[in-house]
Amino acid sequence: MTTASIGRFVILASVLVSTGGAVIGFYAGRSRSRAGLQWARRFAYGYALLMIAATAVMEYALLTHDFSVSYVAHVGSLTTPTWVTIASLWSSLEGSILFWGFILGIYIAVATYLTRKHNDEYMPDAIGVWLSCAAFFSFLIAAPANPFLSVAPAADGPGPNALLQNHILMVIHPPFLYLGYVGMTIPFGLACAALIQGRLGHSILKPLRAALMLPWIFLTIAIMLGGWWAYEVLGWGGYWAWDPVENASLLPWLTATAALHSMVVLERRGVLKGWTITLIQSTFLLTILGTFMTRSGVFNSVHSFTQSAIGPTILVFLAAVLIFSIVLLALRIDRLEADGNFDSGVSREGMFLFNNLLFVVLTFTVLIGTVFPLIVEAVRGKQMSVGRPYFDSMVVPVGALLLFLLGVGPALPWGGATAKQIRRALLPPIGGAFVLLALGFAFGARNPWTLITLAFGGYAAQVTLSQMRSPVTQLRRARRRFASYVVHSGVVIVFVAIAISSTMRYTQEVHLTKGGSANVGAYTITLIGVDERHEPNRFATVARFDVAKNGVHKTTLEPRMNQYVAMREPIGTPDVYSTIGGDFYLSVMNIDAGAQSVAVNAIITPFVGWIWGAVILMGLGGVMALVPQRTAREHVVIPVIEDAVEA
Amino acid sequence: MNRTVLFVGFFIAVAVIGVLFVGLGKDPQVIDSPLIGHAAPPFALKAVGSGETINLAQFRGRPVVLNFWATWCGPCYEEHPTLVANARQMQPSVQFLGVVFQDTEDQIQKFLNERGNAYPTVIDDAGKTAIAYGVGGVPETFFLDKNGTIVAKFAGPLNTETLQSYLQKAMKQ
Repeated sequence: MTTASIGRFVILASVLVSTGGAVIGFYAGRSRSRAGLQWARRFAYGYALLMIAATAVMEYALLTHDFSVSYVAHVGSLTTPTWVTIASLWSSLEGSILFWGFILGIYIAVATYLTRKHNDEYMPDAIGVWLSCAAFFSFLIAAPANPFLSVAPAADGPGPNALLQNHILMVIHPPFLYLGYVGMTIPFGLACAALIQGRLGHSILKPLRAALMLPWIFLTIAIMLGGWWAYEVLGWGGYWAWDPVENASLLPWLTATAALHSMVVLERRGVLKGWTITLIQSTFLLTILGTFMTRSGVFNSVHSFTQSAIGPTILVFLAAVLIFSIVLLALRIDRLEADGNFDSGVSREGMFLFNNLLFVVLTFTVLIGTVFPLIVEAVRGKQMSVGRPYFDSMVVPVGALLLFLLGVGPALPWGGATAKQIRRALLPPIGGAFVLLALGFAFGARNPWTLITLAFGGYAAQVTLSQMRSPVTQLRRARRRFASYVVHSGVVIVFVAIAISSTMRYTQEVHLTKGGSANVGAYTITLIGVDERHEPNRFATVARFDVAKNGVHKTTLEPRMNQYVAMREPIGTPDVYSTIGGDFYLSVMNIDAGAQSVAVNAIITPFVGWIWGAVILMGLGGVMALVPQRTAREHVVIPVIEDAVEA
Repeated sequence: MNRTVLFVGFFIAVAVIGVLFVGLGKDPQVIDSPLIGHAAPPFALKAVGSGETINLAQFRGRPVVLNFWATWCGPCYEEHPTLVANARQMQPSVQFLGVVFQDTEDQIQKFLNERGNAYPTVIDDAGKTAIAYGVGGVPETFFLDKNGTIVAKFAGPLNTETLQSYLQKAMKQ
């Protein structure tokens, strides 16, 4: 038996097991059969094992350079380093779908295991939905995107997409993105199970929140890693370009963030049940839309896989999930009765509602901007693109309002407040707003949106920090509440850093020959020389610069041009000197080793590094919220803390 | 059954799926060029090998496949056999013409000797022709009808199916 045929066999088995498990799950949900649920669980574990096996077979084929396996022939190469070979699994279409199945298998197995003792009324249908999605992806792997086809073995292959080989972040970014995207299947299954059962009881909220939080953490970090990669690799000194596929990762993040907030209101006040479920369903649908965007060849983007036959198949799946979700929602939403009610708009829950509204507005704004070129082409037959000005002008004001709410919301009490309480809560943080505004102004910020962001950021920062007093006590007694403020503090830093780094950038083009120097802001760069380097998988032309600040040597930067055999154009790789205050960035525009001359774009960007750090802080906050709070085993009587459940 | 949810949901579903479905048929590699529908910018360039000057105007009267490429471009290796095979089959009723830029004659000659040479290739030394055609990268292929009007432009490596579909368009004119 060849490696390719083993792979095909395992995938076919996974189609059968996932389909069978889905049928059993739905049957067990309808008949309330305990034995049926047990069998559905076994099938879920079986599916996971098969996906792990299939992925192991593929990695084995990649590492042993078995060019008789079609995917290895397509992306493998004897010259690529081992880490690139391992990462080749997700470097091209077929392998990336297999990787999707692998992660889905692990998610399903872990979710099935963790819920084995609770929520028996929801779990059969949840497993049914999970395995239905699994069956679709197994079908994709088995038929239109089969990576295990047998081909006549070549002596060597072309190697994976050169962009993947160009930076280590490109190896880390896709797995995080998949962990975020694929993980949204789990809350989707739980939400659908709640709809099928016609109730959303308190017992399911905890697993639902955890199931949403975990992929949210991965997606948050994945979006940041993508931006960081673009910044480190693409050479234009920016980190976000409103590229269709960047938008595709942002869309489910927006709805998932909205859902995490509406769940707080749901847990606290027993309202917004149907709304929360709609947001969770939308999140999953948007991940499928994102998958369609990257793999259909419809959108032109740095992320697009080449044109393939799986676009229509994914579109059919998207349509099926959309119709299933709508019908289920229409049939059952009226059964999800609210357990409580809204007392007042000027309250914590009122602000949560407003926050949700803004997130939905943002989602629609980005979605419309992304698909608008398709609409125009369909209606008028003309190509066009929606550029940065649209997104910036639409998103920045809504983003600023969200930042404002991030300050006002947590300052207000639950359930409504008197005028005096409102004044007492909302007036003091104005001090924080003035402090940050004045600081920004002193350091030269003049852009109106930057100043507004600084003011709202200062306000939110004061509210957030005042809620985070006595962290040790809070970590023990109100961990989730504390964790949410950790996330919020990360968000405040991200907003402020984006505002400053995008409006206070300094760019200068510099042409130098060997030994020449130029001043860029406070920095002086000197061209030491231009080298040509032959590396196993590429050919590089490297410029070496000495970088000094105020006459003191700081570092040596080596921006370069890499030429990979399989690429149309060489890829420039910038080099960056990062400090707490900002980055000094050199990107090659033109380089000539013979003449020892180079033209570089030198960019000074204040605070840009804070974005990466702050997003990691957001992720840490999310992890903190996931860790269960141990209160039951402690024998100390804990006084009830106001707002202890959640911020 | 909540009819509002059903109707609003279906409205959104039909809109989203409809737009994506229409988008499916399109290929983002097909780039609109302001030159489409206009006369191809004229040029007279030196041919690799023979050294004679080839004028685009001399092919008036039959469709032309004008392929911009270079020996340092990976995808050009990929599409070269397709171009050679189709040229051998379709010439002289269709003229194939390669334009190489940012390259040396030795390299080009070596490439053609090793990988097949079925049609004339000219060198765009200063890159002026590539600029006149708005070439953003190689390979890029322009399809001209028999009157010398640009009918279509394709960026990236061609396969036979794509090449033939554009050529049909150029031959219809």
